[in-house]
Amino acid sequence: MATHSTPHAELNALNALNTSFPFTAIVGQEEMKLCLLLNVIDPRIGGVMVMGHRGTGKSTTVRALADVLPAIKRIEGDVYNRETRDGRTQDLSLLNSHESKVKSQKVQLEKIPVPVVDLPLGATEDRVCGTIDIEAALTRGEKRFAPGLLAQANRGFLYIDEVNLLDDHLVDVLLDVAASGWNVVEREGISIKHPARFVLVGSGNPEEGELRPQLLDRFGLHARITTITNVQERVEIVKRRRAFDENPAAFMQMWEPQQQQLRKRIVHAQKILHEVVMPDDVLLRAAELCMKLGIDGHRGELTVTRAACAYAAFQSKAAHGPIDVKYDDVKVMATAALRHRLRRDPLEIVDSDERVARAL
Amino acid sequence: MNWSDIVGLDSAKQALLLLAVDPSLGGVVMAAAVGSGKSTLARAFAALLPDGTPFVELPLNITEDRLIGGLNLEAALATGQRVVEQGLLAKADGGVLNVDGLNLLDDAVVTQVMDAMSRGEVRIEREGLSARHAAHFMLMGTYDSNDGAVRGGLLDRIGLIVPFVSNGDTQARAEVVRRNTASPLDERGAATDEMDMLRGMIGFAREQLPSITISDEQLEGIAQAALSLGVEGNRADVFAAKAALAHAALSGRDAVDDEDLQAAAKLVLMPRATRLPEPEQQPDQPPPQQEQQPKPEQRQQDEDTPEPPQPEAQPQIEELLLSAVEAALPGDVLNLPFTSRRGKSGSRGVQLNDKRGKFVRAVQGEMRGHRLALLPTLLAAAPWQRLRRIENEELRMKKGSEFSPILNSQFSIRVSDIRVKKFRDKAGTLFVFVVDASGSMALNRMRQAKGAVARLLQNAYVHRDRVALVSFRGQQAQVLLAPSQSVEQAKRELDVLPTGGGTPLASALMLGWDMAQQSRRKGIPNTTLIVMTDGRGNVGISGERGAGGKERLAAGGQQPTAKQQIEDELKQLSALIAADGVGAVVIDTQANYLSRGEAPRLAKWLDGRYVYLPNARAEQIVAAIDGAA
Repeated sequence: MATHSTPHAELNALNALNTSFPFTAIVGQEEMKLCLLLNVIDPRIGGVMVMGHRGTGKSTTVRALADVLPAIKRIEGDVYNRETRDGRTQDLSLLNSHESKVKSQKVQLEKIPVPVVDLPLGATEDRVCGTIDIEAALTRGEKRFAPGLLAQANRGFLYIDEVNLLDDHLVDVLLDVAASGWNVVEREGISIKHPARFVLVGSGNPEEGELRPQLLDRFGLHARITTITNVQERVEIVKRRRAFDENPAAFMQMWEPQQQQLRKRIVHAQKILHEVVMPDDVLLRAAELCMKLGIDGHRGELTVTRAACAYAAFQSKAAHGPIDVKYDDVKVMATAALRHRLRRDPLEIVDSDERVARAL
Repeated sequence: MNWSDIVGLDSAKQALLLLAVDPSLGGVVMAAAVGSGKSTLARAFAALLPDGTPFVELPLNITEDRLIGGLNLEAALATGQRVVEQGLLAKADGGVLNVDGLNLLDDAVVTQVMDAMSRGEVRIEREGLSARHAAHFMLMGTYDSNDGAVRGGLLDRIGLIVPFVSNGDTQARAEVVRRNTASPLDERGAATDEMDMLRGMIGFAREQLPSITISDEQLEGIAQAALSLGVEGNRADVFAAKAALAHAALSGRDAVDDEDLQAAAKLVLMPRATRLPEPEQQPDQPPPQQEQQPKPEQRQQDEDTPEPPQPEAQPQIEELLLSAVEAALPGDVLNLPFTSRRGKSGSRGVQLNDKRGKFVRAVQGEMRGHRLALLPTLLAAAPWQRLRRIENEELRMKKGSEFSPILNSQFSIRVSDIRVKKFRDKAGTLFVFVVDASGSMALNRMRQAKGAVARLLQNAYVHRDRVALVSFRGQQAQVLLAPSQSVEQAKRELDVLPTGGGTPLASALMLGWDMAQQSRRKGIPNTTLIVMTDGRGNVGISGERGAGGKERLAAGGQQPTAKQQIEDELKQLSALIAADGVGAVVIDTQANYLSRGEAPRLAKWLDGRYVYLPNARAEQIVAAIDGAA
């Protein structure tokens, strides 16, 4: 075991960390994978909460998502990942130098991968929301806004592993921003508002700590994940993990064709999404389903229809629309979209999945 | 230090050698009481690793700042630059993180260690700083099982677990003494030789590791054994395969054989078992018959994913693994320390409050209603001084000669700098349900108790409370739910509620009292026992059954009868529990009110509250408990 004492070695170690397991090489756990992909296709679905057993690949899968995400365009060097000047920040005088480029007429666009921000559990609010640049204040006595993780996550994904262990206060901040799409910072005499639209993805193990009941239904989809019991699949998991650990680069290379194929499929689904049509009778049946399950409000219906549309787009091989959503598409997505919106009764013996299945 | 001088601890030594060969096994956790030689072992392990390998001790009282790192303010002020200081986790990168008392670590610290292990790096996103440091470390942890279990999420990331570290037999103990008193002179030379040889072996094994093979049948056997043992998740398979490979490498083999698989079963699968491979009551059952009768739970589990036909060799491998697990089990299977699922769990991470409990950290906030954390406030203000001086100067220029003491002060503190103290709130109450599972009304009682547990846990989130359940029947009392805050866990673990048999009330009270003392050590000061019974304890602590009416007649009623003895025992024990400050509520479930008398008396002995609720609903039970607390 060598120590990473030289800066070079340290850099290499960090680079090695950035190669994550290929998404397409993950065995099983189809529901979680589908929920994540549909949020890529339509971010309005409202995020995913993945709950389940330990050691079932929850965080591996979410972290693997980054590599199959399509590219987005943004104003060159913009820390808020903006594409146009619509999402204007207030109090421009405090922003970094690149901001002047945004103000000028010549706006250059660049392609970047969809950002995936992985929130560490010890994060404090000032780093999440942004604060005054500590280095500028120290060295030059300058007041400058240093954007936080929410700025980095704009138009991308924000992932919280072990979400049930995160400070309640921070969870509230995240949910507020996720709902409004704007981050407002009032600090040290500055006042800044910048766009922060992101897909919130959480994962956790219910045994590590209970989730606040109201937290769960703020997520669009809720995927449940259990230990894989199929022996052949388990053998495959071990083999792939060993191969990856031994030579990550070679393993990534081997899976690149599948990754490429998935990337293409996602881009295609995104392109035809606006041509997906939900016929009235299917919409009616989806509404009936929510009523039958006694789901309050319209968020359930909205999510299940959006998810069904995204699913139809993802499944479609047609180059052009229109594509009709079928009730079968609703059925596929109903459990993940609705299981966390049923009224909770602590003494209820029937599992929520079972209740959705019966209503179907 | 000499590896072979460490007597006993064979499993622990084996686990550490495997870890040295393949650090991606994550670490070694061992249950070790004081005086079992664990610190000697840690030092010896450090000596086995290449020179310069970091070996970092994690003290139990570590703060979050020191753990993950942060701004080095002194350096920052001196150089005027942002200087990020590495935390302990980053310092352990490429080496060993040693924790003595893994189960005593603060929840927030465990969470950070887990996070670092799952990422292989530490990420700092706090107090205006953003940094990442590599943190690939091997965790070497020990814990004393008397202080409770290690958090499940952490155990899951550590490959090798040694649940019984014993050097109990006298032969071995004598050997310890003999070697410790051996002449230091001839020891030194021999020690260096042996350590050099071991280091060489490990180095060679590491080189060989990538080329060692494991067959599909062997991997299938591992998966099947993990399933039979009810191991949660799929990570254990990976660890088991890696352990077998490391064992083969260390033994100089180029392919995994039975012995390697057995070592993996012992150190990886067995400690994660949640059920035994075969029914306990039929230990003599011949193996072939076993295969024809898959256990019901297993069949159920496999329903959704139909099993493909298994190759011939695989059941034999599974059998081999399972028998290795069995061989590693001690006789007293009921008291296994490895069932982490029944251990401490359900703690909701960082739960902080403003005034009570242990001081954890300072957070930004208003002073009203809080206690000011002076030093952190000054530290928070420090980086901004230069900026503020410039601002203040500008303001003063604008306002002219008008005197402002605030603008003139040397050190400027603003509202945003104010840091207030946050305390870890562990002041919740532990509610231990002690439920009589004997007699005809047992099922009913258990159902009521289960309902009340679920109801209490709904509120436990708010009150920081924990709930446990002990049932008693037959000869012994049994923990069905260890102190928990998780509704999910309670639901699952209380799924099966065994009933019937005699009434060992005293044993159950004893178990409840033990729990109270254990949780007090963990910072939960208050425990309330909720005893649901008709008050008739007819089996003593020693397990001897009290005499029924006929026997008492035969004894002539002269001498103190067994029943009398049991009653005395109960009375004394109750008085001790009451004196220890443990609260009690006795819920009398006796349907026939005429024969009441035992339960009120028990309540009196326990100095607790008595409630008569023969057909209690969950809400009524919770209301009765609230009234008492």
